Amino acid sequence: MNYLEAISAPARENRLRANIAFGGTCGDIKGCLKKGCFSGNGCLNLAGRRFSQTQGCQFTLSLAILNTLRNAVVIMHSPIGCGTCTISNVGVNKTFKQLRDPNSEGIIWLSTNLDEADVISGGERKLREAVLFADKEFRPETIIVANGCVPSLIGDDIDSIISDLQNQTAATIVPIHCEGFKTKVMATAYDAVYHGILKKLVKKPERQRYLVNDDVEALKESYKIGRNVNVFNVGSMSRADELELKRLLNALGLNVTFIPCYAEPEDFQYSLESSLNISICGTHDDYFLEHIKEKYDIPFIIDTMPIGRKNTDRWLLKIAAHFGLENEARKLIETENAELDKCLESFRETLKGKRAFISGGEVRILATAEILQDLGMKLVGFKAHHFDEFIEPVFDALENVDDVVFDVATNQPFEQANLLKRIKADILITHTGGNNILAKIGLPILPLFGPAYNYLGYSGVFEVARRLNRVIRNGQFNKQLSLHTKLPYKEEWYKKDPFTYIVEQDAV
Amino acid sequence: MSKFVDRPRYTCTLGGALATLRAIPRAIPIIHASAGCGHNLHNAINPGGGYLGGGYCGGLSLPSSNVTERDIVFGGENRLREQIKTTLEVMDGDIYLVLTGCMVEMIGDDLDAVVSEFSDYDKPVLPVHTPSFRGNSFTGYELVLSSLIRKYVKKQSKIPGNVNILGIVPAQDPFWQGNLKEIKRLLEKLGLKVNTLFGEGEGLESIRNAGSASLNIVVSDTYGITAARTFEEVHGIPYITTGLPIGAEATGNFLRAVSDALSIDKTLTEFVIAQEELIYYSYLERLADIYNDIDLQRYAVVVADANYAPALSKFLSDELGWLPELVVITDLLEESQKYILLERFKNYQSGLTPVVKFDTDASSIKKYLAEIRPPNRNQRYYDSFSPAVILGSVYERDIAGEFGFPLLTVSFPVTNRVVLNRSYVGTNGALSLAEDLLGLLVAGR
Repeated sequence: MNYLEAISAPARENRLRANIAFGGTCGDIKGCLKKGCFSGNGCLNLAGRRFSQTQGCQFTLSLAILNTLRNAVVIMHSPIGCGTCTISNVGVNKTFKQLRDPNSEGIIWLSTNLDEADVISGGERKLREAVLFADKEFRPETIIVANGCVPSLIGDDIDSIISDLQNQTAATIVPIHCEGFKTKVMATAYDAVYHGILKKLVKKPERQRYLVNDDVEALKESYKIGRNVNVFNVGSMSRADELELKRLLNALGLNVTFIPCYAEPEDFQYSLESSLNISICGTHDDYFLEHIKEKYDIPFIIDTMPIGRKNTDRWLLKIAAHFGLENEARKLIETENAELDKCLESFRETLKGKRAFISGGEVRILATAEILQDLGMKLVGFKAHHFDEFIEPVFDALENVDDVVFDVATNQPFEQANLLKRIKADILITHTGGNNILAKIGLPILPLFGPAYNYLGYSGVFEVARRLNRVIRNGQFNKQLSLHTKLPYKEEWYKKDPFTYIVEQDAV
Repeated sequence: MSKFVDRPRYTCTLGGALATLRAIPRAIPIIHASAGCGHNLHNAINPGGGYLGGGYCGGLSLPSSNVTERDIVFGGENRLREQIKTTLEVMDGDIYLVLTGCMVEMIGDDLDAVVSEFSDYDKPVLPVHTPSFRGNSFTGYELVLSSLIRKYVKKQSKIPGNVNILGIVPAQDPFWQGNLKEIKRLLEKLGLKVNTLFGEGEGLESIRNAGSASLNIVVSDTYGITAARTFEEVHGIPYITTGLPIGAEATGNFLRAVSDALSIDKTLTEFVIAQEELIYYSYLERLADIYNDIDLQRYAVVVADANYAPALSKFLSDELGWLPELVVITDLLEESQKYILLERFKNYQSGLTPVVKFDTDASSIKKYLAEIRPPNRNQRYYDSFSPAVILGSVYERDIAGEFGFPLLTVSFPVTNRVVLNRSYVGTNGALSLAEDLLGLLVAGR
């Protein structure tokens, strides 16, 4: 894979034939995968909706990574509104950065505040002023220029402006082309961010070399690199998740670096002194890992997400196999499972048979479902933001899900509201954002992720079980809300098929 | 010529429009824009407004045409037509407002023509042009209101004693609901029928019937004035501007100004004011001990929007007896607007004159602090700017932490507290403000 000659990353509907609108069952989805509907000939990838609700764009999702980078200033090159979603994590983000480095600053961002005059005459002047101000005022290591739709349409040549400015700033300037209208698949954001990072931040670190070649030092270095691995974290992970994965990989004698979230810009250089790149979510990382493989010959693993016991076992075994450590890994897995399994018993008693509907990112919802099956709960529905080839390995850990409803929709809470009139559920496991609607359905809700909680690894299974048990014990808050509020949908909507508005559009 | 903004304390025109519609029960916005606009703005408005929530049709439930490259190249009108039609099938509302984002305005989609095709629908469907590059949240508020005033508010004869309240922008003022409620309570004591358009007890009918008012009261020197002028032009309703009343004195002046404009009996007005003051001081009197026992006078820095900044500063100076030495007004303002605001900082009873700065940038506050009080250069005796309190937004948390000043967040964005029906205006609001400010100071006791 090499898209780095291009200004920006390609949209995922083109690169991966990803789909954002589909209604059926897990069995249908598996059938589609087999036929190559999604990855191969892409027969479903241009599907859309005649009625749609706001869904997020690659700009907003790009910020989920960009806003975590330490020692960086983010410039939103756009009118004043783009990127103001940053307000939602202005406080917590600082705390999370400080878990990695106690001296970290909070998020600093500037908006170029493009107005009507700029729309006519171009945004170059304001972008220059903002970059120079950021460099002088904050002295960051990196200045990130994320551009919205407007500069793209007025034709600002951002890369040229940036190359010119680079001679005047101490900070490395990284352009991120993430204009929202360019793609229907929000997850293209990850590619957009990695595209900029690959171009500007990934390069071999400059090391002081020995004057005289010392064989012992060279051996030590290659030994060290031979045990260094990078684990690719995601913005929705917590520090506790990282520590759990680190604990498990340390047990196999591996040293772990976490990138890209909460990383220092320089960490991307040191990440090249490593022997394996490990993804926890294919949706998040394939663009970066494929490029690094091609350019720096570092192999990678993209498989399942280490949420749930079986998925964590499998994830560890894949990594261990790369290093010839399968036996050690099996021992570790056995010990971990034996202890954990015992501790889940009391939760299984209360949670057994409870019916759960899960919505969020394709990989994460299926991985999380494994925990629920482990606890004896029943899966009654899935809603995935989008759908592509990376979902395939995650199905393996689940049993008897072929008849379970599978809705592919980036947010679109109206479809889930309709589904929940037909499907009886006891608990919802949901991505943030749609809970304004889902809470009023009256069911208890456990967030699908939370950067302050542990979900990953073996400890994550226990934590999720513990929290599910708590959430289900008292659902009064949402129940009372449902009795005193009304959803904004007409009665006729609930009588229609939940997938009425999905259409297969013609390619242009 | 505008410039970049370091951490803006407002969203865009579309954001302001969405927040305003969020405040009207059963109003359904239809966004004609890229897929991320509504989502992004909800994630600013919800936490920034003290966890305002999406409301009836907010958050990710907002209908949106989610135009992509194809629509931008070939025009988005067909997609818009389809989205309006299906929204009317799915969404249960009493009024539908079609709002635009940047892209569709730049490519010239004919919003008005497409929306006019739905004029036969049994509920009103109205267009409002709200591209982000046209202004910020405050502009969005004015545009939505002006549009409603022109196209939705019923033309009717004026009823003496009916008044509308303008100038408090939902979400952008995180305390909008509590504040409107308190304004209403005060004016009702003068025998007026008060329509706050949004908030407790109001609904779409309030807006529909706003044309019966004989006076519009704009409790702002800066916002709601375009709406008031539109009311004047279309419905012949005069308006007055009063600024945001915080504290007994400001409330008294506010009631007198309204009373003068409506020729209300002065005896009644003075009776109401005296009654309010009596209650207000019966509470404030309780602080006589602790305030003086442990010296609760503080220096203060106020960093806030054009509504709150002058009102808070005056209250701190003339009622709480504090020293608001630095006031930073963070909005994007015209010179003429700045001139009016500066007048509000004159003639304090305390004799103080705060340093007033107009600056949109979060990083500027520290520089101004160094300007008003030169830093300690290791001299043995240093008259430091302490003890002090900051009243600002959550952006001021860093500087508050650095200097060890307690921070009360009052101005957007307020993400570190939950706001439901709290108010900071009028006499009741000022009591809450005193509770919260002095509460910070005794928290460790």
